[in-house]
Amino acid sequence: MMKEQVIITKISIKRKGERKHFQIKLPKNSKFILGVEYGGRLIEHSDSALIRTPVTDPFASPVIGSGGVDARTQLFKRNQLIGELKLQSCEKANWFFAVDVFASDANLGLADFSQGGFPVKDYTHGNKRTEEIVKVDAESTIIQGWYLDSLGKTQKADIKYEVNVYVWINVEE
Amino acid sequence: MLETAKKRFDIKILVANSSVSDTFGLDKNVVKVHGILVTSDKDDLLYYRGEQKIEINNKEIVPENYESKLLMSGINVEPKSRYYPLGGVAPGNGLVKISYKDLDDGRTVFTPYRVSLYLDYETEDEL
Repeated sequence: MMKEQVIITKISIKRKGERKHFQIKLPKNSKFILGVEYGGRLIEHSDSALIRTPVTDPFASPVIGSGGVDARTQLFKRNQLIGELKLQSCEKANWFFAVDVFASDANLGLADFSQGGFPVKDYTHGNKRTEEIVKVDAESTIIQGWYLDSLGKTQKADIKYEVNVYVWINVEE
Repeated sequence: MLETAKKRFDIKILVANSSVSDTFGLDKNVVKVHGILVTSDKDDLLYYRGEQKIEINNKEIVPENYESKLLMSGINVEPKSRYYPLGGVAPGNGLVKISYKDLDDGRTVFTPYRVSLYLDYETEDEL
């Protein structure tokens, strides 16, 4: 009988720009890697480490020729990039999964006119989270992973946080 | 006749960075568990700080360290799709165990909160 199972790997980041190589070991009866998702937790309490979108719009770039700021771009806020995550199977060359890890969707409340009474947050208005679907052979039972910090680099501070990588696999029982 | 029903089980998190486990019993006429969902009275704390393991009939449904945010659904999700689908797990002995872990997160300040585990299941009439 085939069964789905998830393998959780925690990556701990402590220094700005830290690059981590890691391995995810899969059970011997794994058949396929079905999907990948990720999450994270901020450990450090420093004010500089707050993962929030700046109040001043970082997205506001001057419009060429006008010398001013395009008002339309101020509607959108830049998502806070936490880092880059890539995974590779030992079976094949190249990454099978690569993603920019973001703290949250800063534009979740865009065009929501009810914001005054019920502010839009990830934990109230967030969409259902599902894994990114992949289909990779899991015969070798090892996944090579690579993570590069961006949060510490952009905040110019050593920020401690954890990234959780969830690998969904198909196992034979 | 088969009928679907929903049930809620609560645990209280009173201390920061603590673990709380509890086991609940399902009714005997439950034949399949179709979905799970977690919510809280302080959903930001659950979203940022929560991790849990859930077992049904001593079988692991989600493993330890699985973040609560992955089992939450916001109000933007249509009601009929809010539950995390399990594909009809047999209840066996009917015991549902949740082992919840609260972990500090720099974006939140701890205050006691409630974690609710919702189950979507199917029952059959008792003869």
